[in-house]
Amino acid sequence: MNAARSRTLTLAIGAATLVAATLLVLAVAGADAAGPTAADQRLEQVLRGRQLVITHDCGACHGGGTDPRSDDWLVGGLPGAGAGLRVLSRNLTPDPETGIGRYTERQLFNAMRWGLRPSATPDVDITSATPGVGNHPLQPDYLAPAMPWTSWRNLSDQELWDMIAYLMDGVRAVRNDVPESEKPADRWAGWFRPEVIGPYPILPFPAAGEELRAPDRLEEVLRGRRLVTSMGCGECHGGRGNPASPHWLAGTWAGAAGDTGTAAADVPAAVVASARAVTVTAGPYEGPFVVGELTVRARNLTPDNVTGVGSFSERQLFNALRWGLRPGETEDAVITSHVPGEGNHPVHPKYLPPMMPWVAFRQLADDELRDIVAYLKYGVRPNRHRVPASDGPPDFWAGVFAPAALPPMPPPAFPTARERGRF
Amino acid sequence: MHRYLTAVTATLLTLATAGSSARLQIPPHQHVSPALENLSREPGTVEVRLVAAPARMALLPSGDSTDVFAYNGRVPGPLLEVREGDRVVIRFRNDLPEPTTVHWHGLHLPFTADGSPFHLVAPGQEHTYEFTIQPGTAGTYWYHPHPHHRTGYQVGKGLYGGIIVRGADDPLAHLPEQLLILSDNRFREDGSLDFPDPSSPAGRADFENGREGDVVFINGVVMPTLEVAAGHVQRWRIINASAARVYRLALEGRSFLHVGSDGGLFEHPVAVDEILVANGERVEVLVRLTGEPGSTVRLQALPYDRYIPQTRPADWNVTRDLLTVRVAEAAEPGTATTTATTTATTTATSPTGGTGTTATAGADFGVPGTLRPVPPLDTAAVTVRRVMTMSQGFINGRAMDMGRVDAVAELGATEIWEVENVVGMDHPFHLHGFQFQVLDRDGVPEAQRAWKDTVNVPGRSSVRFIVRFDRYAGLWMFHCHILSHEDAGMMGVLEVREGGGRP
Repeated sequence: MNAARSRTLTLAIGAATLVAATLLVLAVAGADAAGPTAADQRLEQVLRGRQLVITHDCGACHGGGTDPRSDDWLVGGLPGAGAGLRVLSRNLTPDPETGIGRYTERQLFNAMRWGLRPSATPDVDITSATPGVGNHPLQPDYLAPAMPWTSWRNLSDQELWDMIAYLMDGVRAVRNDVPESEKPADRWAGWFRPEVIGPYPILPFPAAGEELRAPDRLEEVLRGRRLVTSMGCGECHGGRGNPASPHWLAGTWAGAAGDTGTAAADVPAAVVASARAVTVTAGPYEGPFVVGELTVRARNLTPDNVTGVGSFSERQLFNALRWGLRPGETEDAVITSHVPGEGNHPVHPKYLPPMMPWVAFRQLADDELRDIVAYLKYGVRPNRHRVPASDGPPDFWAGVFAPAALPPMPPPAFPTARERGRF
Repeated sequence: MHRYLTAVTATLLTLATAGSSARLQIPPHQHVSPALENLSREPGTVEVRLVAAPARMALLPSGDSTDVFAYNGRVPGPLLEVREGDRVVIRFRNDLPEPTTVHWHGLHLPFTADGSPFHLVAPGQEHTYEFTIQPGTAGTYWYHPHPHHRTGYQVGKGLYGGIIVRGADDPLAHLPEQLLILSDNRFREDGSLDFPDPSSPAGRADFENGREGDVVFINGVVMPTLEVAAGHVQRWRIINASAARVYRLALEGRSFLHVGSDGGLFEHPVAVDEILVANGERVEVLVRLTGEPGSTVRLQALPYDRYIPQTRPADWNVTRDLLTVRVAEAAEPGTATTTATTTATTTATSPTGGTGTTATAGADFGVPGTLRPVPPLDTAAVTVRRVMTMSQGFINGRAMDMGRVDAVAELGATEIWEVENVVGMDHPFHLHGFQFQVLDRDGVPEAQRAWKDTVNVPGRSSVRFIVRFDRYAGLWMFHCHILSHEDAGMMGVLEVREGGGRP
């Protein structure tokens, strides 16, 4: 389809998911001895894309959180940050009039890779991040800053096509006409200047914010790097998708642009409670989230021993990503259940705030979480930067993350009522 | 002698009536804590009797009675006053309904006398603590129970007392002095002590923050009054015996002269407007007030945010009054000018005969610029550097296990410990048995070389200290001195032994 597409990279998808996908192929499509059909292959791609859409928490802003059974699964219309402008998430269902059914897959690819608004960008192959070069429009019309495409662009071509395949063919179309978002005269070009968002593709390892701290862990570090740079960790923790940033993963940086954070009025309590649209709303600002009276700051994820995560064990960090448990305040143990008091889950769990998308990250495979941890501990350069403590409720968000409130893990079987499984 | 008899009589009374469940009725406002009587006639030996037993007394100004645990029927317990070089023999009896120990916080003594969780004294049992006060250790210390999981409860019930080690060459011995033991407690409507169910919200908050009380005591009295002769200098020895409350002390804009810390006097005094005293820490300050006779100044605890926002108490930013200091008529120089509605510590009589004219000898406080030498421990002799990582409830990621040794050090070795607090809440770190010198905090060199046994490590910061494991092999605790954290297992065991080394 285009030149970039041939640069297919290894899929970052768990073995368990592949097995599940194969089983589903057998069950749903009734594969015969002659081998996979085109429809089988499309289904496989849709399932891979589904996993990516869930783990990247698209539903946090576009509706439905991480649960494809939700009535509002990806229907859009939720408010996000826009530097004072009114910004609403788009309808990502394939409705031909109000959703992404209006666009070609290539237009959607250009939105995820280059941040270009599909409704205002020609349907052509684009090969450069620089305006005026390689079909990048001379006057680009970018998506609002709430959309973390500066990290999504680090996904492989194949991963982006997979996500698009899921949105186009795996999601049930819903008619939901979301009003246009407001945008500044420069259509956000000022936000996304190359010197701010860094180069694409990202610099080879180790970039300025990185160093190899355990030579025997290189393979894991590189796999973890791909995940961290493409999953949006840096959108809140610093540096966006650019490991060469001086703020790379060093946490909320006082004095950074937009340090005043997201206005409380931008973030309805229901959104905070249901998921974490606030994460993305505050994304590129590298400032604290302000939700009502609570100020929440992204922690320093560099391996500094005192101000970062350097003193936490790999298992503690794994437990933070899988179970949402604060690493400094949770016993260093193997945890096997999300139910407090069961399987070493603390009786009084202390959870990371809802802005941290661990409910999405916990759907990653064990190996993927371990790779992320390996990268944070052994692939990032320590940055001694003390982030003030975050506010939070006295129950450490245990009310928000009550077991019954969490979507199932692994995700519910495909297709749910909000999805479609025929090709 | 009659004080000793009182204690003995009380003990006998306890035994005679109903064993350890008997209660002593002590009238209000008489629980000042005198020094323990020395039973020995041998020079250089201090032999005292100490009994821990339930008692009932009026702690609250309302006069309501409270069931407490008390040392020799007192809260705080009686002062242990010794001199450098003394052989100390403490004949202790546990008349509590539960096991206990007596830990001599900060003293350099044999492992078997440390009163650590390894040496429980069962109910009804006697135990003799015996140790020698080492030269150079003159200072202010304290004693309290240390049974694993029960320290916070027993201290909260009233078991704590002061220790003063006197040196022959104390340059401040001519000054009148006060021992001020800070503590706090929480009461129910009926005057009983409030120890909430650990699973209740209040119990959870106590677990996170440590148990703080809204009633703050000095020497067991709420907001006592202390008289200071106008223009005269007093020496205050201050002990933080609170389970969790950290005191940021100030004197309504007046300065203190900060002259000492946990292990005695500084080399050089320093004038300060406020002093932070974390749990288990001691400070020595000089105070000099001028003003009209009858005017008063309050010793206050200013707000100090040691918490994380999730569990920060609503009243954290309240300034608390601790003590009224009233300016009295100027008295004859060198005489004791304190009238004690607070505990009267034995007023020091200067070994040189009390000739000190404290009025003005150069500095405001009339004390020499060098108090004593505090020789630095030799960093070139350091053989081992360790990192101690404190997270909420854990040290190096692990909870206390009495059957596990967490670190082994060579007897006589000099080590540098880097204590890292990797969470948002402050954690005061205490090492048993050995005084250390703080080198730097977050890389900033310590301005004042001092002997310490407890150091507060604020959230997400680090402190490095140097320590030499002289003289006493054994198993030594290191822990957070927020007692609920310690009880929950935020503690480890250091073994010091010949032929020791890492880990």
